[in-house]
Amino acid sequence: MTQDATPPSEPREPRQPPFDGPPLSLEEELAAARAEPEPGPDIETVNESLSDGLNRCPKCGSTDVRLRGSTEMLICLFCRHQWQEARVEEELGLGVGIDDLEGTVVAGGAEAITDDDDVITMTCGGCGADVVVDTAHAMNARCHWCRHTLNVNQRTPNGAVPDAVLPFRLTRDEAVEKIRAFASSRRLFAHPRFKKEFVPENVLGVYLPYLVIDARAEAAYVGQGEVQTRRWTEKQGDNSVTYYAADVYRVDRSVAFTVDDLTIEGAQDRADFGSGTTNNIVNTILPFDTKNAVRWNSSYLVGYTSEKRDLDVTDLQPVLEDQLLSIGRSQVHPTLGEFDRGVRWEAEKIDVGGSRWVAMYLPVWLYSYYQENTRMLHYIAVNARTGETMGSVPVSQPRLIAAALTVGTFLEGIAGYILVATA
Amino acid sequence: MIEVVLHQFVLATSGDDAPLWLLAAGPAGAVATYWSLYRYYRNTDKSHAYERDTLITAQPVQGHREKVRHISRTRDSDIDGDNSGDHRVRVQRLE
Repeated sequence: MTQDATPPSEPREPRQPPFDGPPLSLEEELAAARAEPEPGPDIETVNESLSDGLNRCPKCGSTDVRLRGSTEMLICLFCRHQWQEARVEEELGLGVGIDDLEGTVVAGGAEAITDDDDVITMTCGGCGADVVVDTAHAMNARCHWCRHTLNVNQRTPNGAVPDAVLPFRLTRDEAVEKIRAFASSRRLFAHPRFKKEFVPENVLGVYLPYLVIDARAEAAYVGQGEVQTRRWTEKQGDNSVTYYAADVYRVDRSVAFTVDDLTIEGAQDRADFGSGTTNNIVNTILPFDTKNAVRWNSSYLVGYTSEKRDLDVTDLQPVLEDQLLSIGRSQVHPTLGEFDRGVRWEAEKIDVGGSRWVAMYLPVWLYSYYQENTRMLHYIAVNARTGETMGSVPVSQPRLIAAALTVGTFLEGIAGYILVATA
Repeated sequence: MIEVVLHQFVLATSGDDAPLWLLAAGPAGAVATYWSLYRYYRNTDKSHAYERDTLITAQPVQGHREKVRHISRTRDSDIDGDNSGDHRVRVQRLE
C-alpha cells in the first residue's frame, strides 16, 4: 500500500531560483515594500487542513480516499474509516445576515478568473515528483512514482477550485434506472438511431460549476391595469356581439425581498439557453439542496469528472438582476386581482442592495447523445441529490408527422360528418 | 361511443347550419398533436422555476393605483399586451 510512502532518501539537487527579470531599482524596491498587501477575498474558504495537496485519512494517513455515495461521506479505502467535511452553511455563516448584506461579497472560490491555463503542475508531497493535472476535467491525479493521490486543494487562478462541493447522493445504478425509465416512456416517436444506440450504462457523474447567491433587493414596476365596469351584448344581424366598458389605471408596485441560495450556471457552455442547445435540460433539474454543501475537498471528486467555472461574478450580475426582476414580478402578481382585465407592465427597476456569491460544484448524472443529422447534443440529466430527471430525446420526424396527420384526418372526418349532417 | 357523441352534437346543432370553422379542426388538431408530442420528447419549454423553488422572504408589497381614463365601449375582453403572468419577459428598464 502506498499510504506510508516516504520521500526518497537521497538528497535532491537544490533547485536554482528561476530567473525573474533584472533586479529592481532602489526606488522600486522601496515602493514595493510600502505597498498595501493584496486584498484578500471577502469570505476565505480555503481548506487549510489540505494545504499539502494530499488528502490523508485522519485515522491511518492513507491518501486512497473517495466518496461513498450511499453515505455521502469520504471513505478511506485502506482502513475503511469514514468522515466528512463541515457544512459551509454553518462554517462560513452563509445562512445568516442576508438582510444586512451590503455591496457585492465574493467568496474566495468565486473570485475573478485571472488565468485560463487548465493544466497545473503539482509536486507530490510523498516523493517530490512533478505531476500534471488537467483541471478542466479532473481535480485529482495519481503520482506515477509512489501512487499517492494528489488533489487540487489550493485556490487556482483558473476558476477550477470552488468554495464548496455538494457530494453525490444518488448511486450510479439509481441514476441508470431513472434514465432508463425516462427514455422508456418516450420510445414510440424516438429517433430509431437513438433507440438502437441507447446505453444508459454510459451515464457519467459530473460535478458542474454553479454560483450560489444570497441577495437583498428591491424591485419596482410601473404599468397599466384595467377594471371592467360593464359588459353587455348587442344584436348585429344574426349575430350577437359582446361589448365591454372599463376603467384604466396607472399601477405601480414595489417589493423588498431577500433570496437564499439562488443558483446560476458558472460555465459559459451551460449558460447559453438558445434554441440550438439543450442546456435548458440541465437547468431544469435545479434546485439542489445547497444548504448541505461541504467545504472543498477534492477527494469528493475521485471517480467523477468535473467542469471548471469560466464565468465571473461581473459576467453574471446581469443574469442575477434579470432573475431578481422575475422573482419580484412573481411576488407582486397576487396583488393584481382587482384588475380583472389584466395588467400590462411597461417599466421596471431593480435595486440590488447586497449580494453574496459562493462557487460550488453540484453533482449531476449525465447521459448524452449526439444527433449527427441535426448536430444537436441531447442530454438526459439526473439531479444526483434529489433524483429529479429531465431529458431531451431526439424525435423521428416521419413518425411524428404521420401521427399528426392521422389525428388531423380523423378530426377533419368528424367535422365533415357534422357539416354534412346539419346541411 | 364516438357515434353517440356525434349524434348528440348533430342533434344540438340541428335546425341551424354548423359553422364552417369546424373545417379548421383537422389542421388545428394535427398541429396540436405534433407540438404536444414534440414537447413531451424534447422538453424545449422546461427550465428551472427559480421564482417558485428559491427561498424567498418578501416584505409586504407596496403599491398605488390612479385612474387615468375610461373605455366606454370595446370588443376586447382584456387589456392589450397583458404581461402580468410573464414574469421573465423584460420591459423597459428604469435606472
